[in-house]
Amino acid sequence: MVLSPIDCKQVLRDIQLFLDGEIDRPERGEIERHLGACGQCLDHADFLRALKGLLRARCGCDEVPAELEARVRSALGETSD
Amino acid sequence: MQAVEPELQERFERDALPLLQGLYAAALRLTRNQADAEDLVQETFLRAYRGFSGFEEGTNLRAWLYRILTNTFINMYRKRQREPVTVHEDFTDEWFLYDRLSERSAEKAAEATVLEAMPDDDVRAALEALPEGFRLAVLLADVEGFSYKEIAEILEVPIGTVMSRLHRGRKALQRALWEKVRERGLVTD
Repeated sequence: MVLSPIDCKQVLRDIQLFLDGEIDRPERGEIERHLGACGQCLDHADFLRALKGLLRARCGCDEVPAELEARVRSALGETSD
Repeated sequence: MQAVEPELQERFERDALPLLQGLYAAALRLTRNQADAEDLVQETFLRAYRGFSGFEEGTNLRAWLYRILTNTFINMYRKRQREPVTVHEDFTDEWFLYDRLSERSAEKAAEATVLEAMPDDDVRAALEALPEGFRLAVLLADVEGFSYKEIAEILEVPIGTVMSRLHRGRKALQRALWEKVRERGLVTD
């Protein structure tokens, strides 16, 4: 199978930008095509994607203490008086 | 203090308060303790509320609130939690963690499985151990999902600085995660 015009080195260099949504077409499409054909680059991409997902899932979902929202609302209410 | 108009108050409660959970999680990562995180969130909402009449409806409320959170954190806490600004040059490879995890397993996608097995507290501690500038960049990009441009606006730094902090912060994070993976015995040497 013929790979797209960019090589593995370029893909691995730009893969984080790609996963961050910071790469526009047409380069985005080239990376997508490359990942569709190159298992090794895809493994690297999947790993970074998993790492991002891990951070999002574990570090952004802390339960808010029950009284915090009430406390904030009360503080806002005092400001409005 | 001048009273906030009722309709503005209503709009603030409708649009801004639902973002409390994310802001609280971010505040925990920044302050590293619950009491300070709660104070930081309350102060952030108070400042946002007072400035809300100057906020242009239809623009990025979430980014605006995170900017206030970040500024408030820096003003309220940085003086107390002074950290060294300089960081030693880090020669960690950007595939540091991937290489170490993959060389210990022939199984496909084993790297992601090891990550999944990490307890929440370990992942949080690894992020919280990063120097402040790196931690903010990684938090805003990977946890909160902001674009580089939004992060640049939130932190009031050029986009190039955001990219550099993210790059270095992620490398330092990989090293910290690797330490946790080893401590937990999730891989065998």
